[in-house]
Amino acid sequence: MAEQPLDADEAGADLPEGLIPPDAMEEAGDLDTPDAPPVGLPPSAASSPPVMGQGPVLLRDRYLIDSGKPLPDLDCATAKAYAVADRRDLARKLYALICQPGLPTRLDAVRALKDQEIRGVLPIAEWDVITWPPIGQQALIIVYELPLGGRVRDRLARKEVKITEYDMPRRVVEPIIEGLQALIALGGPHRAIRPDNIYFLDEDMTQVVLGPHVVSPPGYDQPLVLETLERAMAMPAGRGMGDSREDIYALGVTMVLLLLGFNPVGEVSDDDLLQNRIEHGSYTAICGTARVPIQMIEPLRGMLNDDPTSRWDFNEITNWLTGQKINSAQKKIINKSKKPLTFRGKKHFSTRSLAWNFARYPTDAIKTINSDDFQDWLRRALGNKEMADTIKGALQAAKFHKDNYQGSDDYVLARISCILDPMAPLRYKGLAFMPDGYGPLLAVEWIRNGNPQSAAEILSHDVPALWFAEQPRMYRELMDLQKDLSSLRGLLGINDPGYGLERALYAANPSVSCQSPYVVRDCVVSAEQLLPALDGAANSVDTSSQPMDRHIAAFIVARFDEDIHPHLKALASNKAETSIIGMLSLLAFLQWKLRTPAVLGLSSWIGGLLGPAINAYHNRHTRQELERDIPRLVRKGSLPELFNLIDDAEKRREDNEGFEASRAEWLAAEEEIRDIEGAGDERLTKAERTGQQAAAMFAIIVALTVVSVLMLVEMS
Amino acid sequence: MANGSDGLNWSKILAGGVVLMVMMVISLPTLIVLFIGMLPTGVAAIIDRSEEKYGTFCVGGLNLCGVFPYITTLWFVDHTVNVATGMITDVFTLLVMYASAAFGWTMFMAIPPVIASFLSVMAQTRVKTLRALQREIMEEWGPGVASTVDDAPLDAPPEAPHS
Repeated sequence: MAEQPLDADEAGADLPEGLIPPDAMEEAGDLDTPDAPPVGLPPSAASSPPVMGQGPVLLRDRYLIDSGKPLPDLDCATAKAYAVADRRDLARKLYALICQPGLPTRLDAVRALKDQEIRGVLPIAEWDVITWPPIGQQALIIVYELPLGGRVRDRLARKEVKITEYDMPRRVVEPIIEGLQALIALGGPHRAIRPDNIYFLDEDMTQVVLGPHVVSPPGYDQPLVLETLERAMAMPAGRGMGDSREDIYALGVTMVLLLLGFNPVGEVSDDDLLQNRIEHGSYTAICGTARVPIQMIEPLRGMLNDDPTSRWDFNEITNWLTGQKINSAQKKIINKSKKPLTFRGKKHFSTRSLAWNFARYPTDAIKTINSDDFQDWLRRALGNKEMADTIKGALQAAKFHKDNYQGSDDYVLARISCILDPMAPLRYKGLAFMPDGYGPLLAVEWIRNGNPQSAAEILSHDVPALWFAEQPRMYRELMDLQKDLSSLRGLLGINDPGYGLERALYAANPSVSCQSPYVVRDCVVSAEQLLPALDGAANSVDTSSQPMDRHIAAFIVARFDEDIHPHLKALASNKAETSIIGMLSLLAFLQWKLRTPAVLGLSSWIGGLLGPAINAYHNRHTRQELERDIPRLVRKGSLPELFNLIDDAEKRREDNEGFEASRAEWLAAEEEIRDIEGAGDERLTKAERTGQQAAAMFAIIVALTVVSVLMLVEMS
Repeated sequence: MANGSDGLNWSKILAGGVVLMVMMVISLPTLIVLFIGMLPTGVAAIIDRSEEKYGTFCVGGLNLCGVFPYITTLWFVDHTVNVATGMITDVFTLLVMYASAAFGWTMFMAIPPVIASFLSVMAQTRVKTLRALQREIMEEWGPGVASTVDDAPLDAPPEAPHS
């Protein structure tokens, strides 16, 4: 294996496919340029050119970030660094990282770490979402303490400092382990430990700290060599959060690279490195030909153990650091077959190797899986009849379900892959991810690559169930994860606003910004930011459409901690007036609850859409009254008042009652008219009978009068 | 025939026969004038098949008006069979009696169409009034008010935020 200096491992060199490097972001080559509108952005919004420029911006009225002063030495793979001045404490040394819009970050960790002083972790001073002039849109900006000593790797490469195998435990490992333990206590592992992400906090280079880890999904920026074997086989976005065991592995590899001063596998391709790690184990594949100091061999073997249960944990590392007795790492024997199975011209001795290669070449894999040679190899060469029977059963089940997705090659391959290597990532339609990495995977596939179809199918076809079914032991974290994914699947199955794949996106990614075309440039990461962003959008978008799309509805449900189901129910109504009122009520509730200041643009936008809601009132005078009052409330920018005007319960009750009474009156009149007009012959007959009766009465009266008069005359 | 036999009210016939016999004994001249003078009424009673017998009453009422002056003459001047016979053989007397009956019949024929026309005009006026009322309601409440389908009311609005 050729040796390669650490310097060659530049930031962004291991940039995952589809991700825009920071340099390109500055050169307006990212998805936020007019030439490349964001996915899903409507022409009206996409065509408005971003306001780009240079100059300082103020964060939280305190931190002055100068976009004209980049700090390339502190860039991360997915975030660019700039100089920061603290206006209240000019002596304080800070820098800011500008996160890439559209890439999920670890906002929960940012919130937890803000103002925390943790030994071994670079402190976060502040964060916010503000407009970043170079890209002409809003971005998440995180202000860190400036590591005055710079990158440890760079200092070592320039021989400005020397860290020997004797210094390593106390000077590097101890503070980092302390920091990692604190991070775990705060809610999650670091997942970005690599040689170029370890800094000297002080100019004297005595304090070693872990660099930023919150600007991208867990493990996203990690070179493959620094990921545990299982997660290395996953796509960068799908590597998942994992736990402290992933950090300990990465720390082990980092120690190797720092001690050696070069990457012993730097020139080995990722595929070859993975193949070597699968066949020989990570320690052997990485350190096999390197001269690792003898006193470091045992700790490194323990930290680089591919068996997560046998890998060193914090206790064992602490024992090592304090000079206590340590357990020798037991090398796990890789279950290899007696004879190889040839797949695409290469010989494979393990199911893990086969599973990985099957996923890379699915068409050939299906042919091999259905061949008798594969069954024979499982039964005889590997001696695993149980696995052979399970795979045979899976193939038979696929034949039974040949008319639905369960019989598709992709599904069968995903299932066989899980059976062959239960600890490996889920592999489906070219995607490979650990179940806890599904959220970032969905976000990256949808937002960055613009194709969420396969990621959505993973949920709708319940592909994760295949992985969970093959796990040898379901501990609590796995059961929680399975429950979370089932919950996402349930959300996906509902087509109403506030649910569907959009809701799954925001539920699975607590820091993904709202991807509605109306506010995508505003990097809206919290419910508080939504209304001001929509208010701003009112000036530039086509206001004949509703300001509430599926993304906004789903974002509100995921980020707003109140029961809004009645609003969603109204929003989902097929009736235009109910849907409009549902939209208005939801936004009004948001403004009222979050105490958002007046939103003049948004209220004007909504005011113009209230036609159906106004027309829902039956009474003409009431409608005219509402139309007269709306402009007044629009000028106040108060959505609650607008809602109260439109949906006044008393007014609506009166209107409904009046309408019902009028309808009854109308119907009574109609019935009477129909009686009169529809009587015909009957009415004529009745009139004649009445006439006859009148004639008879007249005759009788005349007769009685005549008789009476005559009698009186004669008798008088 | 059985129905006809069942419809005969023998007690009424018997009572009528008794009254007739009594009148023949005590007031034969009156009976003679009444019998001849009220013949049109008898005819009307026979041809008027309606249940209410409006035609009979109409003819009979005016027929009585023509007959009753001669009855009073009998009663208050000379109540004898000769006078009665003289009356019914006098053409003028018969003309008066039968003309009054004819007037009754004419009235029975003429009044119903007049009344029907009058009622028709009244109905048209009422229809116009109702149509005007309906137009007024529709202008006030919209065309939905004319719907005969019972539209479901607007879905229950969500909880109203307080301004």
